[in-house]
Amino acid sequence: MRIELDRPRCEGHGLCEEAAPALMHLDDDGELVIDSPDVDGEQDIAAAKAAVRVCPVAALKLVAA
Amino acid sequence: MTLRRIVVVGNGIAGLTACDTLRAEGFDGELTVVGAERHSPYSRPALSKALLHGGDGLAAHELPAPTHGATELLGASAAGLDAEARVVKLDGGGGLPYDGLVIASGSRARRLGGGSKQETDDGDGSGELTLRTLEDAVRLNELLAARPSVIVVGGGPLGMEVASGCLHSGCDVTLVTDGEPLVRQLGGYLSGIFTAAARANGLRIVNGPKARLIHSGTAPKVALADGTVLAADLVLSAIGDVPNTEWLAGSGLLTGGVLRADSRGRVRPDIVAAGDVAFFPTRRGLSRVPLWTSAIDQAKAAAVGLLRGDDAPPLEFQPYFWTEGFGLSLKAVGFTPVHGAPDFREQGTDAGSTLLRWEHADGSGTAAAINYRIPIPKLRRLANTGAHAARPAEPVTA
Repeated sequence: MRIELDRPRCEGHGLCEEAAPALMHLDDDGELVIDSPDVDGEQDIAAAKAAVRVCPVAALKLVAA
Repeated sequence: MTLRRIVVVGNGIAGLTACDTLRAEGFDGELTVVGAERHSPYSRPALSKALLHGGDGLAAHELPAPTHGATELLGASAAGLDAEARVVKLDGGGGLPYDGLVIASGSRARRLGGGSKQETDDGDGSGELTLRTLEDAVRLNELLAARPSVIVVGGGPLGMEVASGCLHSGCDVTLVTDGEPLVRQLGGYLSGIFTAAARANGLRIVNGPKARLIHSGTAPKVALADGTVLAADLVLSAIGDVPNTEWLAGSGLLTGGVLRADSRGRVRPDIVAAGDVAFFPTRRGLSRVPLWTSAIDQAKAAAVGLLRGDDAPPLEFQPYFWTEGFGLSLKAVGFTPVHGAPDFREQGTDAGSTLLRWEHADGSGTAAAINYRIPIPKLRRLANTGAHAARPAEPVTA
């Protein structure tokens, strides 16, 4: 699976970082950085799903790689 | 006992998060979710923010399609609960037996007219609009296209966001508020910042208690306690929400008319509750916190609480709240309202961009960022106390 970010939609809440700190983070300017766009393994996929779900502006998507 | 069948009543973000969490925690039994709205869950905060301020078409609220594999009964409501027989009764007749139940039936808009609007109703003929559902938002957007004059009743975050959206659409807008806007929710300091921006953007603010709707002629009117009568093409009320607990009357689950959950979301061992419908323990006592992140945090805790009981971690709730309007974006972590001026302040790079922190008597803090892009984990560290706490650079000495 692959995490896709729709950057113009991102408002920098960072709730995704709380849900999946190993996969993404907001940098010092508050811009979201996807550290591991390609996710694989049950644990990472579950974390990626949680991150996608928690975004109030649906800026993240999890798509088939 | 082993849970084979779990029913989730409510298909908003709390119900959705509960379904996702149950699956993530390994529940592979029969999962059924009952949703009064006819669509999959969407982002309710977006309805009064991006959706009302243009720029993203009518898509800002859309969430990815659910992946929990539950049987979704959409457009169906729970009409009753037999907690002894473990059956949820549906409004169309029939029932759903369960081993475990998640109550996430949410809340609806409180109305000046008193009546509670049904999800799909176009109003009760009083002309009073509310903004709670996607249908409400679509209808409001259609109405605003003609640039009507608007009275917004309610000076909370929703009323202010709607007022900002109506101004953005080119409408003449009057906000009727009991006390300064946002004072009750955020405190005087933040209220002052938002109220000044609102006035600068052309919002007319009428401060007076006991606003009521009067029915005369074709256009709706709002009367205040001092005899003032205001008229406009549209009246929209944003005066809070009412938990959807009627279906639980007679279930034995309500205490003094309200639904209370413990720190693991439990109402009883086989029933948990989450989201706008439920009161739960917080540092500030038993509270109902009808906010997006609160619904998500509660639903995660409740789903685990249902599966693991006492072995589930208790919810240590720290509010996260955001609002936008009049060119301002506020993000706040910690309990509000905050009293007085902040103890710490840091100016951002842009004018009007600022990071604020208040200390509370109990040692906790509230951190707020205005037009200041900051990740929430960092804002949480600012609000926190103890070894992991961070502080803005400049104490406020003035």
